Amino acid sequence: MLKTFAAAAFAAFLSIPAALAQEETLQPTVPQASAIRSVVAKAVDDFIRPGYRSFHGAAGELAGSMETLCADPSPETLAKARESFSATAASWARIEIVRTGPAIEKNRFERILFYPDRKSTGLKQVQALLAKPDESATSPKGLSGKSVAMQGFGALEFVLSGTGSDALASEPDSFRCRYGRGVATNIEQIAAELVALWDAPDGVQKAWKEPGPNNPVFRDEREAMTALLGILVHGAEMVRDQRIETFYKGKDKPAFPKQAIFWRSGNTWTMIEGNLRGLQDLVKASGMVDLLVGYQDTIIGSVDFILTSMLRVTGQMNESMEAVVSDERQRQKLDFLLINGRDVIGRLNDDYGGAIGLTSGFSFSDGD
Amino acid sequence: MSWRSDLIDRRSFMRAAGITFAAALAPRSLMALERSDAVYASGFRAPDGSFGIATVSERGEIVDRITLPARAHGMAFSPVSGRIVAFARRPGTFALALPMAGSGQPFMITAPEGHHFYGHGAFSPDGRRLYASENDFDGNLGVIGIYDATDRFHRIGEFDAHGIGTHDMAVTDDGTTIVIANGGIETHPDFGRTKLNLDRMEPSLVLLDARNGALIQKHALPPSLRQLSTRHVAVGDNNRIWFACQWEGARNELPPLAGWLSKGEDIALLDLPEETTIRLGNYVGAIAVNRREGLVGLTSPVGGAAITLDAKTGALLKEEMVRDAAGVAPAAQGIAVSSYGGRFNQTRSGVAWDQHIARIT
Repeated sequence: MLKTFAAAAFAAFLSIPAALAQEETLQPTVPQASAIRSVVAKAVDDFIRPGYRSFHGAAGELAGSMETLCADPSPETLAKARESFSATAASWARIEIVRTGPAIEKNRFERILFYPDRKSTGLKQVQALLAKPDESATSPKGLSGKSVAMQGFGALEFVLSGTGSDALASEPDSFRCRYGRGVATNIEQIAAELVALWDAPDGVQKAWKEPGPNNPVFRDEREAMTALLGILVHGAEMVRDQRIETFYKGKDKPAFPKQAIFWRSGNTWTMIEGNLRGLQDLVKASGMVDLLVGYQDTIIGSVDFILTSMLRVTGQMNESMEAVVSDERQRQKLDFLLINGRDVIGRLNDDYGGAIGLTSGFSFSDGD
Repeated sequence: MSWRSDLIDRRSFMRAAGITFAAALAPRSLMALERSDAVYASGFRAPDGSFGIATVSERGEIVDRITLPARAHGMAFSPVSGRIVAFARRPGTFALALPMAGSGQPFMITAPEGHHFYGHGAFSPDGRRLYASENDFDGNLGVIGIYDATDRFHRIGEFDAHGIGTHDMAVTDDGTTIVIANGGIETHPDFGRTKLNLDRMEPSLVLLDARNGALIQKHALPPSLRQLSTRHVAVGDNNRIWFACQWEGARNELPPLAGWLSKGEDIALLDLPEETTIRLGNYVGAIAVNRREGLVGLTSPVGGAAITLDAKTGALLKEEMVRDAAGVAPAAQGIAVSSYGGRFNQTRSGVAWDQHIARIT
């Protein structure tokens, strides 16, 4: 309808109101496009891709541990499988902050970890499966047609640490073990997909590194930087909203220790620590401090300081979530994590986002 | 949202301090109100990180404000009752009903168990019912919650929205039809604001019979546009329904970003110039109709643009660069525009304006 408008004619329509003149004096320092490209490339090559590779490696070891457990059940091989679970969960926690790109396509994210599961859907389905074995659930191919809640870490945690799991140490090639092996192999396969998708030279990594008018993901550097900062802000929100507030919302409010992620296996803090390390590593690996000028570089120093403080406190938490919520000193540490979690979100979203000109640090990534 | 003629006496509205958000208005605020032909309400974020909604004069000056427990998004206003309802941003579970004229106290509306608000709603023309877009997140269904505005906003039922990712909604002037924009994007509060199904979206525009929720018509988008999230609607003259979209597909494509439909007719997609589509960043965040002047306004925070269309033809009339353009509303003349950076028409305030504006007089 309006195609006939010549581009030149549009220039006449463009008007910049007087109010904007005032805004100009308040503009942040917008980084050079090349500087943003460098930061995004480092985030991809030095954090995201190594993160998925590390996760893939850990998942492979987990699948191997499950294989050994099924073939040679013993207290030692069960302990080894549980250790592998913790290590793989930690590896995932570090990279799960990347809730964008291939991870959120084809239900990969939920297949790796279906959490929170407020209605215990996964638990019910896994318990039903163990009570009435279905051999198709012992292979990744068979699992792919089942509920996402039966395919990932949540299911495997119950297999390895839920009621009846100690029998894994004595019963060779049990259904429970074979199902767990299938889940571990499924996680390993999804991890392999993520590695391949991010390593493909013309794939998602190129979209991140080379924004432009013909890029299917980012039309310019600003969009790519927005997405990168979004990983950090949303990752920090996840730690606070979905990892901690799921079981503890603050003083004088009821606590739900059995809503905490991986409470059965004592890996709640494994996950939270992994998330925080992921945030800290991404900030460092990307060199995003280089986009700030002058005294503004203290923003990143502050973010690092707060994350280090949160990691220190995370290391002081009791593995038992019942003990955590019933101990006043531990609850105080939870309060510390909530307060500082909010602080780090603000510093990333408002201070850093504002400093580099991403919509005044407000709603930079989604207007809704 | 579209401007309608005042049904409550404007002078008494003003004299009653109009805005009973807080205490009596300061003289400066009263002056701003008195000389204003239009009064708006919009959500904001203050420099200290707190959220609220404010009333704003025609020039964009803040008249009054109230703090909210969390970030608000869209608003519903009833010119009959003088009430405004601010909805929490998805996946929020509260909405705050405020008396804008006369007496009364703010009233908190809570989404039912298993639901959250999607951030938008609308009153029936008589002001007796409030409709709200909601997510039945375990059922992964969009619904329209129905609240009795004459009885402390008691929830009296719900209609199937016939889609997922239900976002904005409106009610036609005669009150017979509910207009729904189903964005087609699945979300779940357990996963924050993560979009869970971008590879299999189902956007649609739906008209429901407001009396019983019966489906009047539903328009899915063609397969090539299945990643075009239909997000916001505004009712214009002759019940022409304008809608605005956000593209979740490849960024190097240039899909249509707005269009219109009427009862009994198919949808018409607006064929904006490529330059304008690029300038809008494939993302329209808000839409409004100025019926008196026959204008449609669209804003894009992504592209930093506000554009004005002819409501009869869809022709582009004006294009303005507005960094972080946020809300849009019918003004006394033209289209009012706000920004995340604090601009509201001619005034820049020390707040970040949120995505939507309601014109309240």
